[in-house]
Amino acid sequence: MKPIFILLLCGASLGLLDAQTLPPQKSPEFIKKAALQIDQHVASFYRSKNLAVPKTTDDATFLRRAFLVSIGRIPTAEEALAFLEIEDPTKREALIEYVLNSKGFSSHMTNWAFDLLRITDGRMGSSATNEPYRHWVRTAMTDNMPWDEFTRLLISSSGDGWSQATAAVGYYTRDRGMPLDNLSNTMRVFLGARMECAQCHDDPYGTTERHDFYELAAFTHGQTTLGQQHMRPLWDELVQGEKMRSEEYRVAQVLWDKIYGMSLAGGGAGQIQLPGDYQYRDGRPGELIAGRTPFGQTVRMSDKKVENDGRKKLAAWMIAKTEAQFPTMIANRMWKRVMGKGIYEPVDEFIPAEKTHHPALVAYLSELMIELGYDLRSFQKILLLTRTFQFATNPLPSSVDGGDDFHGRKIERLSSEQIWDSLITLAAGDPDKQATRTLDDRIYVSGKPVLTGKKTMTQLSKEVLALDSEAEVRTYFARLVSEVQASSPGAGDESSMMGMKTIKKYDKNAKVRASELPSPAPRDHFLYLFGASDREVVDGFSREPNVGQVLSLMNGFVQRELVNQSSAHLYESLKDASSDKEKIRRLYIAILNRPPAEQEMTWMLDEVKQQGDAGYRNIVSALVMSSEFLFLQ
Amino acid sequence: MNPFPKADELTRRQFVSNAARAYLGVHLFPMLGGTLASAAPTETAKGGTAKNVIYLYMSGGMSHVDTFDPKPKKKDIMGKTEAIPSKVDDVLVGHYLPKTAAVMDNVCVINSMNSTQGAHEQGAYIMHTSYQMRGTIKHPSLGAWVMKLGGRIHPELPGFVAIDSSPELTGGGFLGAKFAAAPIGSPTDGLQDSTRSGGVSAEDFERRLSLADRMNREFHGKYANADVKAYEELYREAIALMNSKDLKAFDLGQESAATRELYGPGRFAQGCLLARRLVENGVRFVEVQLGGWDTHYDNFAGVAGRCKEFDQAYAALITDLAKSGRLKDTLVVVATEFGRSPEIQADHKDGRDHHPGAFSCLLAGGGIKGGIKHGVTDASGSKVKDGIVTVQDFNATIAHALALPYDTIVMSPSMRPFKLADKGAPVTSLFA
Repeated sequence: MKPIFILLLCGASLGLLDAQTLPPQKSPEFIKKAALQIDQHVASFYRSKNLAVPKTTDDATFLRRAFLVSIGRIPTAEEALAFLEIEDPTKREALIEYVLNSKGFSSHMTNWAFDLLRITDGRMGSSATNEPYRHWVRTAMTDNMPWDEFTRLLISSSGDGWSQATAAVGYYTRDRGMPLDNLSNTMRVFLGARMECAQCHDDPYGTTERHDFYELAAFTHGQTTLGQQHMRPLWDELVQGEKMRSEEYRVAQVLWDKIYGMSLAGGGAGQIQLPGDYQYRDGRPGELIAGRTPFGQTVRMSDKKVENDGRKKLAAWMIAKTEAQFPTMIANRMWKRVMGKGIYEPVDEFIPAEKTHHPALVAYLSELMIELGYDLRSFQKILLLTRTFQFATNPLPSSVDGGDDFHGRKIERLSSEQIWDSLITLAAGDPDKQATRTLDDRIYVSGKPVLTGKKTMTQLSKEVLALDSEAEVRTYFARLVSEVQASSPGAGDESSMMGMKTIKKYDKNAKVRASELPSPAPRDHFLYLFGASDREVVDGFSREPNVGQVLSLMNGFVQRELVNQSSAHLYESLKDASSDKEKIRRLYIAILNRPPAEQEMTWMLDEVKQQGDAGYRNIVSALVMSSEFLFLQ
Repeated sequence: MNPFPKADELTRRQFVSNAARAYLGVHLFPMLGGTLASAAPTETAKGGTAKNVIYLYMSGGMSHVDTFDPKPKKKDIMGKTEAIPSKVDDVLVGHYLPKTAAVMDNVCVINSMNSTQGAHEQGAYIMHTSYQMRGTIKHPSLGAWVMKLGGRIHPELPGFVAIDSSPELTGGGFLGAKFAAAPIGSPTDGLQDSTRSGGVSAEDFERRLSLADRMNREFHGKYANADVKAYEELYREAIALMNSKDLKAFDLGQESAATRELYGPGRFAQGCLLARRLVENGVRFVEVQLGGWDTHYDNFAGVAGRCKEFDQAYAALITDLAKSGRLKDTLVVVATEFGRSPEIQADHKDGRDHHPGAFSCLLAGGGIKGGIKHGVTDASGSKVKDGIVTVQDFNATIAHALALPYDTIVMSPSMRPFKLADKGAPVTSLFA
């Protein structure tokens, strides 16, 4: 049973689709042409530097690279064998089509988005949760939501934190109490403007002043909750002494922290007071100033009245009024994702095209992103189809300081998620066949689900936020408490079908893809050991080696779940192998996605001859411990 | 065995040249590690007596007015916090720290810390490395520097261990992976995977490594790359570690129940206990992190919670070390990236924001005078009035406690000069 991309081979060569009626992101013609354009830009760079054009890499390296870059895991033995055994000049294109249409694509995009937006399951020091927000972002990745729409919905969000229509408010409520840090991150993530330092003082290295920062902060100022004041008197009663031990209090916490506390009201005042320690001549401490954007097209807000649509205006300015900044940022992030190195780095510090070492390419990519309607999958597809993507590996660091020299892929260690997702593929087969984690919107009181099958947080949130007075809140609350007391606690297991919907959740020991596991990875998890981000800081992951990682590869998860585990999926591909040689070949293809070289085959045959079955396990162990496995070529 | 007997210039020169010889052996590839460049350092003031460091990192920005720099005369700044007296006459602490108060006669409080970095990433980075975060180079963390300049004590146990800490802050930077911390995720679980997996004979284990080694040689031949080499070097480390007879240093089960109770049950507390065990067994630098100090929202609940974890553990650690006579050998550091605003933010449920201009850190043991305060902030805890200590000065002081030549210049692979504490100088008045 051969994978789908064989079928795609046939489809690809028919060129049935009419290019004229399709938008660019859906038109194979357009995509092919764009890939060619990029190659031409790269070629002109070589000409200008008098560089030789690198060779393209072999099939096996291409296979592994394409999988890891686009879907974040190595191919299964079956996928690998199928690709390597076909002889068809268009098979690489078909492979790209295959990986981009696979479920794994959004899983790998999710890792990227969660790192960028610092998405964790819970919130420190609060019983509020990021669950609906997390789900919203995950869904956006699954649906390939265009980047401009994604940005707009996040930045201009308002309302009920549980409704999937407005769960994007989690972008702000996640940082409740630190709106200025949140704003700094917004500028960094979407526009590559590093303004963190300007929060406290004029930037000594750049042009941003503290006044500029506060004028921008005016756009998102005034973040409150929806109607929380109606519950205040009731809450104040319940936080007195003994009452805090009662079940009533615990139910009240659900409303206070997890419904009111997760809602976002106020659309962005447009006015803000300068801080008490404002130290410059251009303003007075406590002075009320109006919003004004610091670069691009100037957008101002009124200093006479509170307009309350600052967040909408901010989103619109970011996306369409900062010249090429917004599209260039995302284009460069995607270039780094696919090609291994940003055209310029660090990718979250914007440089205008004309100041980069390849202005024409940067400008082209920025326009391309716009033309594609910010469709990230199509953009990545174009990059994956270029010849540049296929260049052989270049072990030397980039000759361009702080950027890509386009001269062959640079070696880099796999990310923590790529290593984990690859190991579970070897241990348990195609992980994309596993069910995706779903939204867990059960009502939890003291850590136990209640009213299961009767009411969800989403429903509860809607009802509570519609309450319009203290009296209504008290009545509702009293009824809720008696309902909770009357209901029996839920079974508390991961998967419960209660006439509503099945909830799929994974604990930290599950052998599922990183995107489905709890976020952040616990400190004693393999993922954290290999440098997964704790998601408190943008892109806080690490690829630094340490001795704990090596111990793990030698004696830990790899040994328990893979090498010494006879039921590991990886051994299945050996089942009908006729000879030792064939078995060894299949092990190589499963783990390194290539056949062994002659010399390697000699070593391995020798090993098997001397150690028998134990020899196979030794081979598996050695292959997984090898640098070739850990590093992307 | 302190490799740096205090005193003469000659000894220091000898150290530098010996060290240079030892380190040069590592440098098969110029892209790896650093090379010791300059001759002997200039200052000759007496250093401390520390051989080891236990570095307790309060991640998130520990509020100073609620802990070690209370301002009892200013109720609107103190909010819910009360100042209580400590064992030392003019040293007050926040009321959340009763056990710590009782051991302050061993501690030097620095109230005049000052950092230029008020954002977490940048603040934590400069605290750990003495340099500003740059996109172009990774600076080594303090533990890595100490390893570089002071070497290991125990030949097989790691010289630098990080318990429940971020890898980004405890890395080797341009010095290389050899100087990165060995990570411990959970103190009660100890060092993971340090013994051969069950069902793998010693022979098979050897064979696996030999096969992997052969494969790696081929790979490295094709792609000579610093990152690749770093992993290969770590295999040697790991095997030495596995073969060590002293792995029980990582096993908290070896401590009596009474001792474990003295420290308390939490993760941080057990981390402190493990740190004490490790330094006893010759690990030079152990970092333990306690997170959750970023109390923008509901500061008082946050601080109370954090102090609950901190108070018993810290007091137990100091008491334990003092009782066993190890306090003079061990420098115990309490550090954080910045303090928190004396002004309370009422609309953030009484939160406090970041405040790098003035904050507090602690030093105890290793020859540091106990029961003193260094530096003064103004009446509201907002600005440093006297005795300013920069982050770099703080790190230089730590190195000085270890009697390390902190101003040794090490060249990065990109041929730029760096020092353990950049331009910092130790606060020598803190030493007995």
